[in-house]
Parts: sequence; structure tokens; C-alpha cells
Amino acid sequence: MSSQPLLLLDGVAKEYGTAAGPLRILENISLHVGRGESLAIIGPSGSGKSTLLQILGTLDHATRGRVTLAGEDITSLDERQLAAVRNRQIGFVFQSHHLLPQCTVLENVLVPTLATRSATTTAAQQRALRLLARVGLQDRLDHRPSQLSGGERQRVAVVRALINQPQILLADEPTGALDHASAVNLGQLLIELNREEDVTLIVVTHSLELAGKMQRVLRLEDGRLVEMK
Amino acid sequence: MTRTTLILRSLRFHARTHLGTLLGAAIGAAVLTGALLVGDSVRGSLRETALARLGKTHLAAATGDRLFRPALAREILSSSETFSTAALALPATVNNGDGSARANRVQALGVDSGFWKLSGQPPCFGEIPADGVVLNAPLAAQLRAKVGDSVLLRVSRISQISRDAPLASQDNATAALRLKVHAIATDAELGRFSLQANQVAPFNAFVPLEQLQRAAGGANGANLILVGRESKDDTKPIAVTSKALAKDAAQQLRTFWKLADAQLELRVDITNGFIELRTPRIFLDLPVVAAATNAFPSARLIQTYFVNELRAGNRTAPYSMVTAAASPLVPAEMRDDEILLNQWLADDLRAAPGDTVALRYFSVGTARTLEERTNTFRVRAVVPLELPYADRALMPDFPGVAKAESTRDWDASLPIQAGRIRAQDDRYWKEWRGTPKAFVTLAVGEKLWSNRFGTHTAVRFPLPVGATGTNAFAALRDDVEAKLLATLDPASLGFRFEPVREQAVAASAQGQDFGGLFIGFSFFLIAAALLLVALLFQLGVERRSREVGTLLALGFTPAQIRRLLLGEGAAIALLGALLGAAGGVWYARAMLHGLSTLWSEAVGGAALRYHGATGTLALGVVASVMAAVATLWFALRKQVGQPARELLAEGNVESHATVDGAPKRSRGFVIGVVTLLLALTLSGWAFAAADVAAAGIFFGAGALLLTSSLAFTAAWLTRLARVSAAARLSLVSMGVRNAARRRRRSLATAAMLACGSFLVVSVGAFRLDENADAGSRASGTGGFTLLGESALPVVHDLNTPSGRDFFGLDAKSIEAVSFVSLRVRDGDDASCLNLNRAQRPRLLGVKPAAMEGRFTFAKLADGVPEKSPWKALNRGEFYPMHGQPLAVDEVAAIGDAASIQWALGKKLGDTIEFTDERGGAFKVRLVASLAGSVLQGSLLIDEAEFARRFPSEAGYRMFLMDAPSNRAADVSAALTRALSDVGLELAPATRRLAELNAVQNTYLSTFQVLGGLGLLLGSAGLGVLVLRNVLERRGELALLLAIGFRARALRRLVVSEHAVLLLIGLATGVGAALVAVLPVWFKPGAQPPPLSLWLTLGAVLVAGLVWTWGATMLALRGNLLDALRSE
Repeated sequence: MSSQPLLLLDGVAKEYGTAAGPLRILENISLHVGRGESLAIIGPSGSGKSTLLQILGTLDHATRGRVTLAGEDITSLDERQLAAVRNRQIGFVFQSHHLLPQCTVLENVLVPTLATRSATTTAAQQRALRLLARVGLQDRLDHRPSQLSGGERQRVAVVRALINQPQILLADEPTGALDHASAVNLGQLLIELNREEDVTLIVVTHSLELAGKMQRVLRLEDGRLVEMK
Repeated sequence: MTRTTLILRSLRFHARTHLGTLLGAAIGAAVLTGALLVGDSVRGSLRETALARLGKTHLAAATGDRLFRPALAREILSSSETFSTAALALPATVNNGDGSARANRVQALGVDSGFWKLSGQPPCFGEIPADGVVLNAPLAAQLRAKVGDSVLLRVSRISQISRDAPLASQDNATAALRLKVHAIATDAELGRFSLQANQVAPFNAFVPLEQLQRAAGGANGANLILVGRESKDDTKPIAVTSKALAKDAAQQLRTFWKLADAQLELRVDITNGFIELRTPRIFLDLPVVAAATNAFPSARLIQTYFVNELRAGNRTAPYSMVTAAASPLVPAEMRDDEILLNQWLADDLRAAPGDTVALRYFSVGTARTLEERTNTFRVRAVVPLELPYADRALMPDFPGVAKAESTRDWDASLPIQAGRIRAQDDRYWKEWRGTPKAFVTLAVGEKLWSNRFGTHTAVRFPLPVGATGTNAFAALRDDVEAKLLATLDPASLGFRFEPVREQAVAASAQGQDFGGLFIGFSFFLIAAALLLVALLFQLGVERRSREVGTLLALGFTPAQIRRLLLGEGAAIALLGALLGAAGGVWYARAMLHGLSTLWSEAVGGAALRYHGATGTLALGVVASVMAAVATLWFALRKQVGQPARELLAEGNVESHATVDGAPKRSRGFVIGVVTLLLALTLSGWAFAAADVAAAGIFFGAGALLLTSSLAFTAAWLTRLARVSAAARLSLVSMGVRNAARRRRRSLATAAMLACGSFLVVSVGAFRLDENADAGSRASGTGGFTLLGESALPVVHDLNTPSGRDFFGLDAKSIEAVSFVSLRVRDGDDASCLNLNRAQRPRLLGVKPAAMEGRFTFAKLADGVPEKSPWKALNRGEFYPMHGQPLAVDEVAAIGDAASIQWALGKKLGDTIEFTDERGGAFKVRLVASLAGSVLQGSLLIDEAEFARRFPSEAGYRMFLMDAPSNRAADVSAALTRALSDVGLELAPATRRLAELNAVQNTYLSTFQVLGGLGLLLGSAGLGVLVLRNVLERRGELALLLAIGFRARALRRLVVSEHAVLLLIGLATGVGAALVAVLPVWFKPGAQPPPLSLWLTLGAVLVAGLVWTWGATMLALRGNLLDALRSE
């Protein structure tokens, strides 16, 4: 673990305007996450876990506060720069795999590389093959998502999130749609990849079992983060 | 892995979803490509027709009434590749054997075997026997004649001098030939032969050249040189070939032509020691005189004129010849107010030197009008009746006079009072013939007696001083002939080779652009197809929102995703365009079938065949792809606008389907009230105005009413969005209120249907009505009741008793009838009925004063007097914006606005190049345009200008007639009967206007039919709207199902919501359009909108309901409760 924080949240707040006045989801959240750390955010439904994760992943904007990723204030970036940050520095895994049904396993993994160039490089392809082999999908390269089990699809989604060697991997309820065995396996895989790929892992989950595998656990309640572990 | 792979994968995976988009793109491409192919086909057909009418002819030189030796044509350009032939072309009329059928405006062509070499295929009928005639198919059909039948061909006899010349005899102006139909020439056998660019086949009668020459009195003469060329290995552009050919032909003509070809002759006068140049045309053409005096400065010009009376005191001598000449005949120092009398006249008048002699003579006006004038002279001397004064050859060979033995035998058409001729006059004639009795200076003769036919009657070339003997005369004669032929430009006498093939090809290529026209007509079809493309593609993209959200989360920018989607769309568009290109061929064939049957009036009955160029197909594909891609780009502009988190969320379709914000205060209501008031005001004004502008005002009122209705609809939807009426809630009212949820989308749908139906119905307002105010001088008929054209010229003024007497018209039959006669210089028909681009339009010569107050002017050039625009035709009356009069080589012209804009592709102020009879170029400047008139097709110029430029165009061939409308048929019958020899064809002016109006009216019908089809296709968009709306609300509908609503009730809910939009759209559009077409309905004899239009609109309503129902069924199929679970 590096002493230099990779991710820094400073006084982040999120509000939504409603007819009855502003609805506060997050209040004055401050957080330091170091390189290579693994972190779980837990909390009741509607507590704002996913909103916080989307702010970290640049999919949403904070109403107030600052988010710094690798020393860069991402709250001041425009949409184009944010897309580049998402593509190069952040990997996403969602509760639903969101694989492209029209593409094969290998192609799905390689899709993120097309955001910056019109064709994938050999290096990217080799990395995709290595990672897919790492998650046990070396025989499923030409399969379509519809031909995979739920666990397999999530593993493809994990590999796709890692293809551009991001610094941070964000997982939103990654095991939420899986059976218990698959969920356990995927959780273990995420931890292993966190270590092997030296990628910071932030997981939003209801699963205390998965959260327990993380180095740090934070609870989000009433819009505030509380360090549990 | 590339982005292209990703696009291809998506295309394959979503192939079924894309089928609708593909179909839309294919329909759009088929219509667009088809429209372009219609343009190709019309152009191709016109070219085919043009080449059929010319065969292998490349050049033509038409010399009109100047006849040349047919051998001349055979001498020029005779090689294995090129050949020439001579023909005699004369206007004619033909009756069938029993006189039950007649054809006027027939072209009689005297041809020999050389003519048929111009034919694309050797004619199967061989040589035409001396008593035979070959008719072309249209003429045979008109006469109901078949091979072996006999017909009566009447042709205009050839006159050495213009029939307009007062001395020209009017007797035996025509000759009749009874001939047996030898064959009927097909198009491939030059049956359509014509030098005018028109897709309508002329009436042609081919007769052996010698037979026609004999009948027409033009012994061994021809007036048409045709140059043909074998074009097997033509690789050069036609313009290059024509230019080179014309240059060669002109050069060879100069080499081979003789004085006889210019109707000139040399007379040797050994006694007086000179050679004389004269012409059977009486007056020498100005270029001839110029050439003679340039080549021989010592040449002496002679002018001998027929004068009515010479008077000294109370003694007179009638009908004498007077010669104007220079020295030595007239002393060089003689003054212009002096005269020499010969001894006989001096004795007769008892005049002596110093006495005053008055000379009365006719001055020639336009047509055959003669004005008697008097000039007085002082007798300078009396000359003996001996040479050189007693020279009877000074008188030209006046027809009907020169060969008369006695004055009683004079057969001149001049109004000679025989009673005034005394015995001594007859004795003088018998002894001295036309020996001039008096002599004046050449300057006086040129001043008093110059006319449009010329000035001088002879040029004399004296023998060089010291030369004597027969050889000297022979040498001089050869010298004169050689120098004259070398100096004289054949073109100045009409021997001008026109590149007719090049002109024909250009006329067909530059003709009416039916491609553009059908793109316009098919606008709704194309727009509807593109709308479907956009809607279906949008629908497909919306259904892939999670995929879009994923790509956003993976770091793709919205622009990148739009490009990927656009790439996908472009591939569909390309495939659709390729499929559409095949469909385009079918569409083009269908449209051509329509133009040959249902809409044939729009193409003047032209035979159209399919001609599709590969380049056009490629252009259609490219244009279709571009149109579809542009549409998709526009449709995708607002797509991928939602944040990734929303797109990725479960049940996202509903999540971003937020209700459009409803403004608290509706601007729609305010706009609706204002535009409604404006519409009512305009309608009231239009009713009050009741003038020609009313149609435009009503159209404006209709458009305002449409805006008003749509604004009220917007206001209503806004109100629905805010209304809370729990007490009155029903399933249907819920459905109707749902229409307010996506207010803009609903309004756009209603507006599209409203605008479409408004345009399709309201174009009827622009339907032209030939009967509207037909009796008014300001109308398209100019207030004229009848319009007539004759095959042969009428040289008499039909407004005068003498003119009417000539044709045996009794006063009662044509009581209260007056004529405006027009001179005609044939040219291309520049009306909408001619699909070719008119290169040299027909010119009409008219007296501007006779047209005063007639017709309505669409536009006037700067400087044209608004109160009397016809005066602009008079030279000196027209002062354009810079205050400059027309240039010397310019002639002011007025034409129909449609002729100027569409047939000629010109605008006011532009000029068109013409060549006059003497080969001189002049420009016709367009100074005013008429609105929708019977004169469409021609340009009108001042008659005086016309006669100056085309002096040999004798008489009048077009007539505008004022006649009591209740006697029009009787007047028409009487005139047709009386003027049958000149082939007068009369028609009510309204009928001619109807023929011209039919073009625009047919265009409107075409637009209505194709627009209706477009609307029908566009109604499918309603189905897509249903799908989009229902898919966005599947959860909500599932909830209704869950709480106990039956599926049938849900379907009713959805259908009612969309049916109301359909009904609003159609009702608003049709209602507003009906206001726009009110003036058409109020016209006398107005036709209601055609049944087909109502059927189309009914079909749109039914189709809209079917699409709505079908889409509802499709959207609500499957287990709707799944949507609830995903919530």
C-alpha cells in the first residue's frame, strides 16, 4: 500500500432538487483511498452507496466538494476528459454484467480499448487472453454472453473492467445477481485481482461476507461515511 | 477488434430491429432514385425523338422563299462519310379523298432519293411515284388515310417576290395536287422529320421533288439543304463535329454556289456597253448591292419605281415608270428636287424646263398597306426618247406587268384604276413598254422608294474604258460573277448552316427537368420514408439504452457512441439504398406509365420510354445514403444524452421518460387567437377583394388557420397536462390525457399529419381555370374569343371589306368580329407543352397598339411604362434603368412568364440571339412577361421590327379574334370554311388556355397523388410513435393490468390516445386547406376536389388507425407483468 492517496474525497455532498426542497443523499463525505487498497462500502438501501460509487466513477457529479484521482481534481473536468478518465483509470463492474450481446467474450473484453483507437493492439489482445485465462474463461473466448452462466458473465465483466489497466476498480453489487457459490468465487477473484493487478478495489455491497474480505469497510448511513474496519 | 467489427456485430445482432429502418431507407431510396430515373427517361426519350426526327442530319440551311439549284446541295460535302441533299419544304394543307378529314399546318417536303439516305433505316417503300405521296403516321391518322387512298395536297405557290409586296399577284397563291398515298413513313423512316425541337410529331407529306417544284411553280428549285453524316465511329463531342462540319459546308458552299443560287442574273447589254445585275425578286438584297459596289466602285445603281401619276398643272399621265439613277443617266450636278422628263412625257404634260411636276406614288407599309404620297420636282431638262434614256430594260420584271402586251393585260395587284389609262398610254406601252418616262437622282429614289424588300432594282457594270468586243463582255461577265460570288456572304442570303443535331441534343438535354420535378412531387413520399427511418432507428437505439450506458461507463464519449450508431445507420442506409435502387427502376417505370396515361397532359403526349443510366443509379444511391445518414444524424443528435447511470439502471426506459414540462401559461392559446383573427380578417378581405389576388389571400388565410389550429392543440395539450378531473375520469379520457404526457412528441405528430394533409389538399388552390373571367381583357385569353393559325399566310387585312371580300366572307357571318393579325417566324414552341428547352423560340410580329389593354402582365422590366406595357415593343419607347434606349441590334419582346422562366430558362432583361433573314445577328430583349396567357410558346415583337428582320415572311399566320361569345361557333365555322385554302384552324381561346393550364394542373394532380401516398406512408410513423410511447410506459401499463384492468381495456386506452392525435392532425390540415381552396370552389363551373383526394385522405385515416392498433398489439404482447417485476 502506498502512502500517497490514490483517491481523495473532500467534503463531497450530493443533493437532488425536489418539489419539497433539496433531497440530501450525501453530506460532507471525506475519504482517502491508497493505491492497491481494497475497500467495501456497505449500508442500507437508499443510503446513497451507488450514488457515491457513481461520483467516484465520474458517472455522476457531486453537488459540492472535491474528488481527486491520482492527484487530479476530477470535479473540474469536462465530459470528454471524464470519459478519458473512465476509460484509462477506472474499471467498472455492475450488478448486471452489461455485456454487449452482439459481441463474443473476447470482443466484449476488448471493447474499452476502442474508445481511444479504432482498432485494438496486439498487446491489448494478449492481455485480454491472459486475463480471461486467469479467470478460467480461456475456452469461452468465442462464446456470446447468452451462452455463459451468470458467474461467467460477471467474470467477463471483471476482465473487461481491467483491460485498460485501470488504477481503480469500482464494483457495484457485483455479486448481487449471483447464487451464493458464484458470489463467493467472484468475491475471491476480485480480491486476488486486486492484489495481482495492483488495482485499488472499491466495492459497494450488501454482502457482509464480501465486505469482510476487503481491507477496509465503511458504512454509509444518513449521508455520512463511518469507518467500520 | 475494430470499431467496424463492433458496428458489424451490432448490425447482425439487431438485424430484426433494423428491418423497419432498412425498409424505410429502401423506400426513400427507391423514390429518390426513381425520380432521378424519370428525369433520365424523359431526357432519353426526348433525345431519341430528336434523333428520330433528324435521322443522320447534322446541319440544315433553310433559305425560305429563295430557291437554289438542288444540284448545289449534291456538290457540297460529298464523301463516304458526309453527304448533302436538297429539299423543297412548303407549308400545306391536306384533305382526305372525300374531304371528310383535313389536316392544316402540314409540312410538304419535296424530296429525292438523297433525302432518304438521312434515314436511320432505309425506307421500305422505295421511290415515290410521280403521283404518289408518303404520309407520316400522325398525318395518316388525322386523315384516316391508308396506302392506296387519294388525298388532296394544297401548297403555297412559290412567289418570286414576297406576297406582301404590293405588286405580287394574289391569284393562284396556292396549288392543289391530288396524290395517291404510296406509303406511311414510320419514325425510323424519317416520318417525324422536322427542324423544330418538339416532342410532338409534325404532319409530314413527302412528295417527289420535281412534282412539288412543278406544282408550286418553283421550277428546279429547292429551299432546304440538309447535311448528313454517318456516325458509326463518332468519338468527338457533337458540338465539335457540328462546328467542323458547318465550317466545311460553308466553305464548300462558297466554292460551288452560283449567282443563280442567289436568284441573281447577269444581263449583257452590248448596245449600251455594260453588264447588268438584276433579280426576279425585283429588288436586290442590300448585301448584294453592297458586295457589288465594294467589288466594283464604278458600278451604277438603278432604281425604277412604278408611280401612280405625273402631273404638270392640270395635265396628268397615269401609271408610269420613273428611274432613279446617278451619272451618266442623270447629270451629276442635278439637284434632288429636279427631274428629267422624256420627250413623250414632256409633250404629254406640255411641260418644259423650269415647270413644276408633281409625282404621286405608293409608299409600302407593313403588310400590303399602301400609302399614296406626292412629291414635286422642277423640270431640269427634257431628254430625247432614245438611248440611254429609251431603255426599256430599266424596268424590272414586275410580275403580271413586264410581259403584258397591252396595259389592259396588266395583272398587277396594285389598285390600278383602268379607266384612267388613256389610249396614248397604251400606245406608249405597246411601243416602249416600261421605258421610264422620268428620271430623278438616286438619292431621291433611295429616300422615297426604299422598302423592306430592298432599294435598287439593278446594278450596271460598264465595260472598262477602251475595251470592246464580245470577248471584253465575256471577260467582264466572268469578272463580275467571280467577284460577286467571292464578296457576297451566302449566309447573308439565308444560306446559313444551323447545327440542328447539336441544337436538338441540347434542347432535349436542357429540357424540363423531370428528375427535379418528380423529386418535388415525391417530396412527401421521401420525407415520410426518412421520417420512418429516423423514428424506427431512434426506437431501436432507445431499446439499446443499456448498451449505450455500458459504453459510456467504459469511457466512450457520447459523440463516439453516436458515431458508432451512425456507422450502423449508414450501413443500413447503404443497404437500403442498394435495394432502393432496384425499387427505383420500378418506381420510375410506374411514373412513366403515369405520364403516358393518367398524367399525359403534363408531357404534351410525348412517348416516354425507360432510359436509366448507371451513373444516375449511382447518384441515386449516393444521394439516398446521404439523405438517410443526414436524417439519422439529426435523429441521433439528442440521443445518448442521458447519463450512463440512468441508462444502466434497470427499467431505465421508463426512468428517463419524464413528462415534458408543461408551462403554467399557454402561449399556444395566445398564438391561436391571434392567428385565428388574422385568418378571419384575411378571408373577409379576400371575399371583398374578389380579384385575381384572392387565391393567394385565401391560401394565406388557410395557412394561418392551420397555425391557429395547431396552436390551440398545443394549448389544449398543456391544459390536459395540468387538469385534474377525478370525477370525470374514464378510460378514454385517460388515454386522451396521456397524449399530453409527451406534449412535444404528440404535437409534432399531429402537426406532421396536419401540414401534410393541408399541403396535399390545398395545392388545389393553384389549379388554373381557363374559364375564369375569360371574357375580360385582363384574363389569360386577353378577352379574345377565338384563336386561329393558318398553314399558309394571309396577306390581306381581315378587318377591311377588301380583305373580307377576297375570302368571300359575307358581312353578316362575321358581324362584330375583329382580328388582331400576327406575323409568324417559325421557331421552337416555348410553351410548357414542349418538354425540350426552346433554343430559338417562335417570334410573333404584332402591332403593339392592337394589344393595348390586353392580358395581365406578370412582370415589367425597369423603364417599361406600367400603364401601357405593350408600348415597350416600340423602338424608342423602352428606356431601361440606365435611361438608354435599346441598342441598334436589339429588339424588345414580350412573352408569357412561363415561357420565359421554364421553356427558355430566362428572366426579364435577358436577351436571346437570333439571326435575321440576311444572316445578321440580333438580340431579342425580354422586357415584360404576361401572366398565364394563350400566347405562351412565342415571343412577341413589334410588327415593324419583324418585317425589317424577316421581310420575306409574308402575311399573317396567327389571329386573335374578338367575336360575340354566343356566336363563336358560327363565326368559327364561317371563317374556317372561307379560309380553308390557307388552312385556317380556329379554336376557342379558352380551349388553348386549357391545354396550357393542363400542364400545371396535371403537375398538381401528380403532387396530390404522390403526396397522398407519402401521407399514407407517413401514417406508419404513428405506429412507431405508439411503440415508443408504450415501451416507455410498459411498467405503468403492467401496473394497470396488475390492479385489475383487462388487456383489452389497455389497448383501448393506448389506441384512443393516438387516434385523437390522428384525428386532430387530419381534421386541422383538411379544414385549413378547405379554406385555402375556397376561391376555386366559388368559381363558375368549379370542380370539387377529386374523389381520389378524399379517398386518399380516408385511406390515411384508416391506415393511421390500423398502424396504431397494430403497434398497440405489438407493444402490449407478451407478459406485461414482467415489466412490473423489473420495476
